[in-house]
Amino acid sequence: MLTLNTFFRLFFLLGILPCVIVLYGIVPQKARRWVLLLSSYFVFWAFSGKLIVYLLFSTLSVHHFGLWLSGIQMEEQQLLSGLSKDEKKSVKKRSKNKQYAVIFLAVVIHIGLLLILKYSAFFATNINTLLGVMGSDYSLEVPKYILPIGISFYTLQAVSYIVDVYRKKIQADTNLLRLAMFMSFFPQILEGPICRYSDTADTLWQAPKLKYENFLLGLQRIVFGIFKKLVIADRLNLFIQNVFNDYRQYDGFIITVGVALYTLQLYAEFSGTMDLVIGSGQIFGITLPENFKRPFFSSSISEFWKRWHITLGAWFKDYIFYPLSMSGPLKKLTAKSRKKLGNHFGPLISGSIALFCVWLCNGLWHGPAWHYIFFGMYHFAFILLGNIFDPYFSRLAAFCRINRRALPYRCFQIVRTTVLVCIGELFFRSNGLKAGMIMFKKMITEFSLKSLADGTVFKLGIDAYDLIIVLISTGILFFVGLLQENGVSIRDGIMKKNIVARFAIYYAVIAFIVVFGAYGINYLPVDPMYANF
Amino acid sequence: MDKRLIEILEELQPEVDYYTCTELIDGHYLDSLTILSLIAEIEDEYDITVPTVEIIPQNFNSAKSIWEMIERLKEE
Repeated sequence: MLTLNTFFRLFFLLGILPCVIVLYGIVPQKARRWVLLLSSYFVFWAFSGKLIVYLLFSTLSVHHFGLWLSGIQMEEQQLLSGLSKDEKKSVKKRSKNKQYAVIFLAVVIHIGLLLILKYSAFFATNINTLLGVMGSDYSLEVPKYILPIGISFYTLQAVSYIVDVYRKKIQADTNLLRLAMFMSFFPQILEGPICRYSDTADTLWQAPKLKYENFLLGLQRIVFGIFKKLVIADRLNLFIQNVFNDYRQYDGFIITVGVALYTLQLYAEFSGTMDLVIGSGQIFGITLPENFKRPFFSSSISEFWKRWHITLGAWFKDYIFYPLSMSGPLKKLTAKSRKKLGNHFGPLISGSIALFCVWLCNGLWHGPAWHYIFFGMYHFAFILLGNIFDPYFSRLAAFCRINRRALPYRCFQIVRTTVLVCIGELFFRSNGLKAGMIMFKKMITEFSLKSLADGTVFKLGIDAYDLIIVLISTGILFFVGLLQENGVSIRDGIMKKNIVARFAIYYAVIAFIVVFGAYGINYLPVDPMYANF
Repeated sequence: MDKRLIEILEELQPEVDYYTCTELIDGHYLDSLTILSLIAEIEDEYDITVPTVEIIPQNFNSAKSIWEMIERLKEE
């Protein structure tokens, strides 16, 4: 089986993607979808071996549940004709109950499988610790499962498909192959984005003809992704590994630099991989959803999560937050609390309960460990505090005559949000919650510029040369982001230039990556960071 | 468009021109909790039930689209 580390080099630098593109381009139209499906299964098999059966099972299962739900909905429609209002109500209620039962079963099977494979060892270990504290000799056996690649991503796609059929947002697909393509499209297997059936299934099934314009646009995006990954993320890897693994040896300054650089690395790696994935899709004429929208221009934690890992946040919002907060008991709570506490704090109580569940799931989704749960709760706390105090901040700003939409105030908000995000990422990356706490404490109590003055900071995997390249590259990222924030489409601008100027830009970027990319024996390429989630 | 809807929106988030703004969700003017308050208000005011499937940006990006959704739900 292949390791995760080989994914990037194998697919985007050494040629599996080009092979699929060539094959896709030369086969007849009807065979194109087969090229995509078989390539996808080949990639799954290459990384997961026989664990591909989980993907096949999930695909067969959602297909079956979709048709089951659709059958109940059609039966309801047939029964409704010619009935009185009361009889219609009763038929609808019976049908709803049946559909709830089907949804429940489907969610239990799919999420249950994920829970067993991903979390059973975590739960067993914690139960054993608890039993030990209580003085019990009994202990549970800690199971060991190998996690199939991409299961956290395709399970969420599977659940969204079934719920969308239930909500009649989409029709259940009778075509098993189309559903299989939606569940397995190969560029997105490792790190998403988490797609919805309504967004990608039809285009994947149509398998559009290759177009020169799509090819160029896709390639542009891929090159930009390689730039982020090779020039920034990989260059920082050795330093970050040193800081996070041997944090006890370093002072607060080095840890602060490590945390800031890790946040930059995570963004460069994850958004860079998304560029590769979305660019690959674009080459085939398939539009995949965006996962990043310049998150470091956010003015609050809440806004940050609308711009960072967008498809995960949207999934939690659509399938956990709103269903929970719009459920009978929470709606009643909202109505009651609104009467007592008013329009602001009333809905905040039920909303906070739903929000707590979202952030608990978000933390756990990232991994079965307490520091991930802490990461979720950390963001929950800031979003909640933001919601509670927002009206007071508005009044205070009005009293002090501060324009909250003015540039200086927005800059202050952006810096504040970035600092809070960096601290969150410290706990996210740390080797356990205790290590995260110690590192955070060191950042505050042991901060001194001594390690900068004596040059220790430049002996941990990055030197001044590396730092200058990272700073220039981050400056380029910031400049591109700033233009995009102001509605300037750089890619359209490049496409409008004449062929000489266009290719001069392409070659300049490629030359920059070749010269300043971090590869070879002195560097440690970073694994796809979201692949293990 | 209904004046009462504009009043409700202004009570919840006063810093927006609801006659012109067409990106209430995409522009981060209304967050998830404000949407919950808004739904509770319009359910009371117009005697409708907003199902979860209707909570999509297209339905909440402008006062006009919110009003169109209310009219549609009133008919159902």
